[in-house]
Amino acid sequence: MLTRLGAGGFGDGRLRLGALPLGTAAWGLVALLVVVPLANIAIELASADGMRAISDVFTGRIARNMLWLPLQNTLAIGVVVALACVALGGLLAWLVTMTDMPLRRTIGFLAAIPFMIPTFSAALSWTVVFGDDRLGPASTGVLHALGVPIPDWLAWGGVPIAAVLIGHLYSICYLMIAAALVLVGRDLADAAEIAGASRWQTLSGILLPVVTPTLVAAGALCFAEAVSSFSAPAILGLPVRFHTLATRAYGAIETGNPERGYVLIATMILVAAALLAVATLAGRRRRSFATVGGKGGRRIRMALGPAGWPLAIAALAVVLFTTVLPALALLLSSLSGQRGTLFGEMTLHYWIGASDPTIAQGQAGILQNPQLVRSFLVTLGVGLATGLVALAAGAVIGAAIHRTQQRWVAAGLRQAAFLPLLVPGIAIGAAFIGFYGAPIGPLPSLYGTPVLIVIAGVAATLPFAVQSVTAALSQISPELEESARVGGAGPLRAWFTVTLPLAFGKLLAGFVLVFVKMVRDLDLVILLYTPQIPLLTVLAFRYASDGFMQFAHAVSVVILVLSVAAHLLANALTRSSQPWLKDNPG
Amino acid sequence: MNDPAIEIRQLVKRFGETEALAGIDLSVPKGAFCVLLGPSGCGKSTLLRLLAGLETPSGGDIHLSGRPVAGGRNGVTVPASRRNLGMVFQSYALWPHKTVHGNIVWPLKIAGMPAAARRERVAAVTRMLGIEALQDRFPGELSGGQQQRVAIARAIAPAPALLLFDEPLSNLDAQLRVEMRSELLRVHRETGATVVYVTHDQIEALTMATRLVVMKDGRIEQQGAPGTLIAEPATPFVSTFLGNPPGNLLLAEPTDDGWRVDGVRCDGLTVADRSGPVHVFYRPERLTLHHQAGDRRITRRFLETLPIAGRSIVSADGADGAYGAGQGRVTAIVDRPPPLTYGDPVHLELPDRPDGVFSMAGERLA
Repeated sequence: MLTRLGAGGFGDGRLRLGALPLGTAAWGLVALLVVVPLANIAIELASADGMRAISDVFTGRIARNMLWLPLQNTLAIGVVVALACVALGGLLAWLVTMTDMPLRRTIGFLAAIPFMIPTFSAALSWTVVFGDDRLGPASTGVLHALGVPIPDWLAWGGVPIAAVLIGHLYSICYLMIAAALVLVGRDLADAAEIAGASRWQTLSGILLPVVTPTLVAAGALCFAEAVSSFSAPAILGLPVRFHTLATRAYGAIETGNPERGYVLIATMILVAAALLAVATLAGRRRRSFATVGGKGGRRIRMALGPAGWPLAIAALAVVLFTTVLPALALLLSSLSGQRGTLFGEMTLHYWIGASDPTIAQGQAGILQNPQLVRSFLVTLGVGLATGLVALAAGAVIGAAIHRTQQRWVAAGLRQAAFLPLLVPGIAIGAAFIGFYGAPIGPLPSLYGTPVLIVIAGVAATLPFAVQSVTAALSQISPELEESARVGGAGPLRAWFTVTLPLAFGKLLAGFVLVFVKMVRDLDLVILLYTPQIPLLTVLAFRYASDGFMQFAHAVSVVILVLSVAAHLLANALTRSSQPWLKDNPG
Repeated sequence: MNDPAIEIRQLVKRFGETEALAGIDLSVPKGAFCVLLGPSGCGKSTLLRLLAGLETPSGGDIHLSGRPVAGGRNGVTVPASRRNLGMVFQSYALWPHKTVHGNIVWPLKIAGMPAAARRERVAAVTRMLGIEALQDRFPGELSGGQQQRVAIARAIAPAPALLLFDEPLSNLDAQLRVEMRSELLRVHRETGATVVYVTHDQIEALTMATRLVVMKDGRIEQQGAPGTLIAEPATPFVSTFLGNPPGNLLLAEPTDDGWRVDGVRCDGLTVADRSGPVHVFYRPERLTLHHQAGDRRITRRFLETLPIAGRSIVSADGADGAYGAGQGRVTAIVDRPPPLTYGDPVHLELPDRPDGVFSMAGERLA
């Protein structure tokens, strides 16, 4: 989560391997992974071609279609998604943490899951339900097939894109706001009650203002995520030529106009960064409102009375609509013999069927299909490699941030390591193609190799890796390691026998998170993909584009299950997912 | 109008299976400074929250100034806002998004006080606590002591009849604590409010209370003036919990020729029932130290000596080598530090009669 990033640090006694090589290695990693590829975009833009692209995109004949309309769409989606997510997530967080709503534990558990569902799976499931026949029979959705008239705006374009992003991102808002609400000292509300404030006055006069910084941060994060998303607009917008900056940038780079793509990508980064900067400034004075206040223990929940069940049912509908429904729609679609009928004749053909020339141009079911099996293995391999490398890089950079004596050096390192948070996945992909796609001196071009995808993945997940490693290690008191040193163990032995085993669960959780981000990612790899490295997500995207919907949905189900399972595993490993769901002791 | 400020009868509070308060009877006269003292988990904070109206009782009733506010046969519950009280929390609970002025004035606004009266009242309480200059600051910009003063100002601004304090000094450093103690006494005097003050610090309790209530395991062990509780502890717990150093509680066993502690004769027990052992209580200043064994002298091992106020507190271990207070550890106050080192045998002479005798069940016998 954004609010937690940058926190933490290492105890003083870690890995005394000499500060100089460590610092150099950390800066080298950050330079290669983040600074140079991004700076390269800026350099490209400053070139003659770049300047021409800038003037074309901003003022040329194409400006309206290339930049202004997509920018308008992007901003509209960002604003709507941010507001809706804060409202929906905030309401859920309040219901789950502060009231006696029935089923609140179930609802709270489910509300954290949409975030684990890849947006492209959610977008595909939208077409399963709401698709119309505008793109031909292959895109027909269930409702349309049942004879329910689906207006075009509900099937494609801005509304479904925003809906899918809201269904994905409200979950982050829920988690952030619930955590903040739980941290607000019970005393603050008690003091208001003693002062004679009504429940409404306490809510609007005390509670809401106190969590406002969190609301702003959550909204800003959702805005940045929505603005940089590629999957949702690619699946729900491109078929009807509804463009956002991300899809325009993708189109420009794919059609051989990388400079124009860079201009759009730079615009995206600036839009996201500007909003985050504004949010940070707005929240500066109010930053540390949520304090661990007063005595812990029992919280008094607000009695909802007769409104309890209706609210619970509404909340349950929201979480089921965004968790079980997409998964079920994709699964049933992948099992249905005919597009648009989820409950008609069922077939396992798309899962285990052998090649049959009458179905899908002879494609075998995904478990029989050598291309898909290979793709599955390649994806796992890329995910595992990215997880390992990212964690190792995170360890080096995290250690250097802590050990460097000069404050500004550490601060610079941290800023650079967390920079990828601001950069949309597709932009990182573009930056890596631009820099590592061509030979550098004696080094060959990395384009078309898994190495390129892995290092781009490491760059994109670096903030999470650094954060995971520092959080895992900083929770272990350096005294534990020091006592081993005093007991006669050497520095490496002390680290490996004391610190590492204690941090192992959290490090593993960090690894799982990086792994799953990679496995379910489409935004980053869409530009890096080549047929030699068939990644599952890109394959599913291609299947969907080519009209092999059932295959796309079957693959999507695999990724969805993998992603949710991995997240739940990571939560179990850190045991910190949603402490407020546990009952408070008397 | 002669009703006590607080009248509590048979108050019970259960949280699920656990009984936090097991039948509390308490009467506090108007204008008293009543301190609830006890170890953590004894129910003192729960009692305070019940008084405040932040919790509802499971049984029994509470009257404030003669008015039933909670429990009773018809199950009334007057909300916290209508009990005419102010509360200072351990965490201060200052609203972080409001300035000092905003914190103090908000309850007055809620109460519907006119603007002119509000200005006057805020000016009065900020002056009383010496925080006039801080009014535009946010709580996050204040030191702990300043936050404490703001919390007190906020609580007294509506001029409540009853002021509740929940361990208000526990987050302050030692020097500030001493300062704030007298500050709180001054506020008590100037407001004339009845105060109920929860603490686990017996120095706070003994210095501030006009009425001291010692609690343990959800029950009141003893209540009264601090001096009375020190002089006449009603239970073994009070005898070893109160006082600095706390009293000595030793096991006396009946023999054919009188009572014996550690096998040594002890005099002055006027207990008729000689069927089993009893606890005898000796105040530390009544024990004397000797180099040789002798009559009425028990022998223990020397642990430590602490010089204080020109005298020395000498501690020796328990009969079975136990160290902790209440485990038979013995302390004596003597004029001169003895030339002893850790583990040396030390002979302590018991006075000619104990300062109290308790049955093994905890009942005071003499």
